[in-house]
Formats: sequence, C-alpha cells, structure tokens
Amino acid sequence: MSYLVASVAGVAFFVMSVVLLGVWPSRVLEQQSRAMAPEHVLTLTASERRGREVYAREGCAYCHTQQVRYLHADTLRFGAPTLAWETQLDYPHLWGTRRIGPDLARQGATHTQDWHFAHLFAPRAIAPDSVMPAYPSLFDGSADRPLQAARDLVAYLETLGRARELAGPEGEVRAREACACPDDEMAMMALSGTMPLDASPARPRPRGEVPAVPAVADLERGRSLFAANCSGCHGSAGTGDGPGAATLRPRPANLAEHTYTRARMVDALWNGTVGTSMSAWRDHSPADLAALTDAVLAFDATAPDAPVAADELALGARVYAANCVQCHGAAGDGRGSAASELRIAPTDFRAQRPSLSVAVRALAAGIEGTQMAPWVDRLSDAERLAAARYVRSLFQGDGAQ
Amino acid sequence: VADSAGASPGAVVDHALVRAHGFAAFVALLISAVFGIIVAEQLVHPDVATGVPWLTWGRVRYAHTQGIMLGWLGNAFLAFLYHGVPLLTGARVTSARLGWWLFGVWNLAVLAPGWVLVLAGISQPLEWAEFPLPIDAFVVVALVLAAVQFLPPFFRRGLEDLYVSSWYIIGSLIFTLLAYPMGNLVPEWVPGAQGAAFSGLWIHDAVGLFVTPLALAIIYFVIPAASQRPIFSHFLSMLGFWLLFFLYPLNGTHHYVYSAIPMAAQMGAIAASTLLGVSVVLVVANLLLSLRGSGFVPRDIGLRFVATSVVFYLIVSIQGALQAQMSINQAVHFTDWVIGHSHLAMLGFATFAGIGGIVHAWQRLPAARYNVRALEWGYWLLTFGVVLMVVDLTLAGLVQARLWESGAPWLDSVRAARPYWIVRALAGVPIVAGFVALLVGLTTRPRGAGPAARDAEQRALASASGIAPRLAATSAEGVS
Repeated sequence: MSYLVASVAGVAFFVMSVVLLGVWPSRVLEQQSRAMAPEHVLTLTASERRGREVYAREGCAYCHTQQVRYLHADTLRFGAPTLAWETQLDYPHLWGTRRIGPDLARQGATHTQDWHFAHLFAPRAIAPDSVMPAYPSLFDGSADRPLQAARDLVAYLETLGRARELAGPEGEVRAREACACPDDEMAMMALSGTMPLDASPARPRPRGEVPAVPAVADLERGRSLFAANCSGCHGSAGTGDGPGAATLRPRPANLAEHTYTRARMVDALWNGTVGTSMSAWRDHSPADLAALTDAVLAFDATAPDAPVAADELALGARVYAANCVQCHGAAGDGRGSAASELRIAPTDFRAQRPSLSVAVRALAAGIEGTQMAPWVDRLSDAERLAAARYVRSLFQGDGAQ
Repeated sequence: VADSAGASPGAVVDHALVRAHGFAAFVALLISAVFGIIVAEQLVHPDVATGVPWLTWGRVRYAHTQGIMLGWLGNAFLAFLYHGVPLLTGARVTSARLGWWLFGVWNLAVLAPGWVLVLAGISQPLEWAEFPLPIDAFVVVALVLAAVQFLPPFFRRGLEDLYVSSWYIIGSLIFTLLAYPMGNLVPEWVPGAQGAAFSGLWIHDAVGLFVTPLALAIIYFVIPAASQRPIFSHFLSMLGFWLLFFLYPLNGTHHYVYSAIPMAAQMGAIAASTLLGVSVVLVVANLLLSLRGSGFVPRDIGLRFVATSVVFYLIVSIQGALQAQMSINQAVHFTDWVIGHSHLAMLGFATFAGIGGIVHAWQRLPAARYNVRALEWGYWLLTFGVVLMVVDLTLAGLVQARLWESGAPWLDSVRAARPYWIVRALAGVPIVAGFVALLVGLTTRPRGAGPAARDAEQRALASASGIAPRLAATSAEGVS
C-alpha cells in the first residue's frame, strides 16, 4: 500500500512540474500572445523557412541566442526584450542558452546581403577576430556565388525581429494595452516605448547625429583598432581591398584615395552607411572613435592639387549643374532633390574628397552597387575630367563644417 | 541479502552484458570526448575544419552532448544496472535476450545513427534533444525495454525494505520514460516562448531524472559495497531521494530567467533551485559521513571515483543554486561559466560516478582484466583535467560577464576569452588521456585480475581498520 502511495506521489511530482512550469506558463503565454500580437503576423516564406532549417541544423542557436532578456545590459546592446508573441511562429523555438556571438533576435536589417554572404563564406575575412565557423559548403566556391541554402539562410536572418518592426508604434501601443500589467515591472520596462526596438550598435543609421569625440586621439590605438575591426574589408593599408572586400557592392572605400573631414569620418563610424556593408561602430567609446578617425585620416595619400584652369572649373560646374545636382545637391552636400529617394546617400563632396583618379573612374564607370551611373556615354572625356576637378574643389575641410 | 562483495549472489549477474555495455560506454566516451576536443579546438582555430560540413562546430557540438548523455552515460548506467539490479534484488534481470536487444537498440538504432544524422545535418535544435525525431522513437523503445528488463526483479523480490539505490533506479527508469517524449516532442508542436518553457523542463529533467538518479544509485551502491561500511543514515538517504524527485523537475525555468516566460514560473524555479541546493547538502553530508574511514583518497579505484563524484556533486549543486539567483544569473547566464557548470555536472559528477560503477562491477567480473596502475593514472589525469577545465571556464565566464555588462564591443568578449579557450582545449588532453588509461586499465593484465585486486583490497581494508569480525554484518546491513 505504501508503495502504491509512493508511486502515485512520485508521478504526481512529475505531473506537477509539467503543469506548473510547462502547461500553465504555456497557457499564459498563449493568451498573452493572442492579445498582444498584431492582427496579421507575417509568416515565413518558403525560402525563409528553409533558411530557418539551415540555421537549426548548423547549430547557430548554440552560439547566438534569439532572446533579448528584460535586462538593462541586454536592451542597451540588442534592443527591446523579446515578447512571447514575437516567437509564436517558431517551431521549435531557437532561444538558445549560450552567447558566443551576439543575440540575433533583432538582427534583420542590420547587415546587407553582400555582407552576410561574405561573412558566412569566410567570417574572418570580415572580422579578423571572429571565431564563427565558415560555411563554404553553402557557396559555389566564392562568396558571390551563394547556393540556395545560403540565400535561404540570409533570407531567414532578415526576418529576425521583423514582425515587431512591422507592427510599428501601433503594435507597441496595442501590446501595452493588452498587457494591462502595471504591477509587472519587467513587462512595463519591455513595453515602455522608450527604448529602441533594435539597439544593435552595428545597424547603420542615417547620417547626422554624432557623439562628441575628443579632439586629440591616440593614433597607435587607432591603428590597432583599425587592424582588428576594419582591415577585413578596407585592407590593412586602408586601400579598400581587404580579404572580405572582393564581393561587397559597393566596394569598401579606398581610404588612401579619399580625404575626409574628421566630422564626416566620425559620422561614418558612428552611423555606418545605410545601404552598404559599412556597419556602425556605436559600441566603441568616443575616445576610440577619435583614435580610429585619426588612423583612417592618416591613410590619405591623395596627391596635392595641381592648379586648375578657371575655364575648366567653369566647364565642370556646368556639367555638375546639368547632371549631378539632383542627387549630390547644388552645394555638393549630397542633399539633392532626389537624394532622399536613394537607398545609399549620395556623396557629400564638402566633407569627402575623392582623388582625381577615383573621381574620374566613378564618372566613367559609375559605382557598382549604388545608384551612381556610368557617364561614359553621355559626357565627353573632357567633361568628365572637368566635373571630377569641380567636385574636388567643393571640399571644405573641417573648418567650414 | 544482496551482498555485492560476496561470491555467491554474483552468479545471477549477466557478465557478458556488463562487459558489453562497459566497452560500449568507453568507446562512446572516447568518441564523444574527441567531438568535444574538436569543438574546443575550433574556438581557438576556427578554420581548422573549414570546408568539411560534417565537422562544423554546431553539428559536432550536437554529437558531443548527445554522445555523452546517451552513448557514454547511457551505456555506463546500463552496465551498472546489469551488475547492481541482480545484487540489489537477488533476482535475475528479465532476460538476457532482451538485454541484447536493448544493447542493440541503444547503440545501433539510437547512438550510431543519431551521430550520423546530426553530423549529416538532420537534427533538432533543442538542447539535450538534438537527435532527430525518428531516433527519439528508438530512445523511447529502449527506455521501455530497460523498464521491462530491470523493474520486474524489484517487484518479484517484493518491495519491502528497498535500498535507496533501488528507489533511484526505479524512479529514474519510470521518469525518464515520461520526461523524454515531453522534452523532445512538445517544443515541435508548441511554438516559441511556450516551447521554451517545456525545453527548460526537459533540460533539467535530463539531468535530474535520468543522469542524477542513476549516478546516485551507483554512488549509494558502491560506497557500502566497496568500503564494507553501511550508509550513515538510511533516513537521510530516503529523505534525500524524495526531496530530489520533488525538486529536480521544478527547476526547469531557471534556464530562462529574465525571459518572456511568466515571472511566477521563473520565481518558482529559482526557489526550487535554492531548495535543491540545500537538499543536496543533506544528501552529500550523508554520503561523506558514509565515506568516513575510507581515507581522503580511497585506495579502491571504484570507490575513489565515486567519492570524488560526491565532492563534485556538492560543488556543482551549490553552484547551480547560486547561478539560478537573479543577481548572479543576469551576469553569468549565456557565458562560459554555464559551460563550466555543465562540465562539472556531466564530466565531474556523473562521469566519475559512471566510471566508479563500471570499475566496481569490473572488479567483480570473474574473467575481467583489471590493471590498477593504469586505472590510477586514469583517475589522476581525469581529475586534473576536469578541475582545470571547470576553473578555466568559470573564470572565462566571469570575464565575459564583466565585458558584456560594461557595454564593450561584442568582439572584445571573444578576444578576451581566447586564452581561456586555449587552456580549455588543452585540458582536453589529460581528459582524453585519462579515458584511454581507464580503457587500458579495464583491458590489460591477466583475466581474473579484478577479483584478485578486490580481495587484496578488502583484506587490507579489514586488517587496517580492524573491522574484520564485523564485515559480514555491516555489509549485509549496508546493501540490503
């Protein structure tokens, strides 16, 4: 008899654990999800679903969590904490319990497809100190020849965090109202609406807002930071031909062939460049950003300008006014009337001066991966040369900013 | 009376199955350890296997943990059960034929194809459940076979005065059968956060209902059988048994603290984790008191592994209770600290108990080979390797926690971990060498060396402590 009681008690312990920590939380989460989710949550496409299978079979979840916790440090680094409804299409879940790499719950829209392909093909070509496995078997020999599995995987990565971004501010309001949880400090924190949905320091943002950085920086520190973080794409000499560069479109900037203002470079480091593979580096301190800026500016090897004849400059100005202002703006600040329509912001020539050869080449051949078109059929050699000299003359240096 | 030290009851032990599972266990252990070294090495030299899809980090990690849990510990526990259950019950296990079927299913329908499939990229991305669903079906079949094989002897003998090891064996066989399908199937039907709640349960049930009870069954068995002294308190043993079976399953959600899972479930799991830590202190106190007089480093190798396992069990359980606390969890969760913790549990506590069980049983196989010197080497190499790895990973976890909290660039935490990852990979060398030494220890020297060593051991024990006259009485009390 006592053994019967013991067996019943034993089984009851197990059942109790499943009910208390499995069935009950699951019901609560289900109700919560139903109340908080937008009416229509975008499901995964066939390609995205296959990508999820690649993610699962390669064990990506064992180094990358998909679960932003209700913790200050997590929300600062990754964004808003993961709500249950955001995971309601995950069969099975991919939350993970270890972070060797960063959390990916809000990874979508952080990097370009090019970047993902180059990074999956050879992670250390992009980030020299990464320990991520390389996945050449997802490619046909090169990062610009992804097989279907690689395309699917990247398509899936682009979905991470998408549902909540698409829900927009209305979605946040809806979730806040549905939660009705004024006593739940953590839920209130998650739904406060005060934190950015995606706080990823790497996600490029439009130009403009920059932090104050010290005027004096440690150039040696900047060089080692450059080697550790930038050399994969920009090359160890800054010439834009690092091991990860070959398949990126647009190509990484050749820093030796450009003169940048300090302000422009700080902006590029802090905000990245939207639409390109240039990430933002917001997790670096102002002192490190200043040091990196110095290191980048020191790569500038453009030749000093030979004097330009006034009539050539006038020709350049006419060509520019007729063909370039719509995008690059009348003042050359990259804010022409069409600029806001472009995925990649046009170059601001006041803050960034290409070398003559780079400018001439861009005018002739365009810049692959951007909306900068080739002008070789529409402008004569002399016109293009004049335009190149003209845009170079627009550079104002740091003093004018 | 089941006196494992005595000669006659040994007649009901199926020696061939003990040996088969013992060898399978060590082979699986070596292969799993090699998988472990491959993943550890890839954190130091990430491109070492680039271009070989089945050697990718993620896939090999799946093979490593599933191999350790099912291949190594599963076989080690089965080897022990073929030795322990007949001696605990005085009755044969259900059938030798059934035993070979179980052996075949476990190794040829679960372990080998499971490894092949996860390495080929057919798997399930759920922790401690990575083998794909068809394999899970065979695991359940094997668990049913194990229940049919080992439970009837207990019932045949009658259930009066079950020794604590028997309780743990019965509990584990039944609850693993219940928990395994839950952990492997439910997250496939229940999405996201909801599925994670069930995964959390299973992650802890795998440790708490499969690994720990069977490891404790070995520990409670080997201590009295090898030391010839009874367990300090049977009351504490049974109290510990019921506390552990009550509390272990309630720990699950502590793997997802600060997540979307309802706070009440998280809090409940944290409270249960704290109580579990306290309960384990009780259990370990009883075990350590039972080990009094066996020396700080017991001479008998099986007993020595078991005694060390008890110490690891204490440390890992206190660590577990601490890291479930919100203030500590928020820092160390997701770091290498947790990897250190899981190695202390699986490689320290459970593996040492498993080795102790096999070595103990081996010593009592009439025709087994048994090389004390090699086993000594195995013990020290392994102890050194485990301690080095766990200390190293714990420190790495603290460094990572500090850097993450500071807001430093993510890659800084990867760069800072590198020296620790080098040491961790190097710690694999003494560990694998230790496993090889153990395998040598169980396969060299003339046949019959095991029983001879055991007899010498017990003569020395008896004369040293002057308990010879009480031997028969205590051993009967100890393992009845």
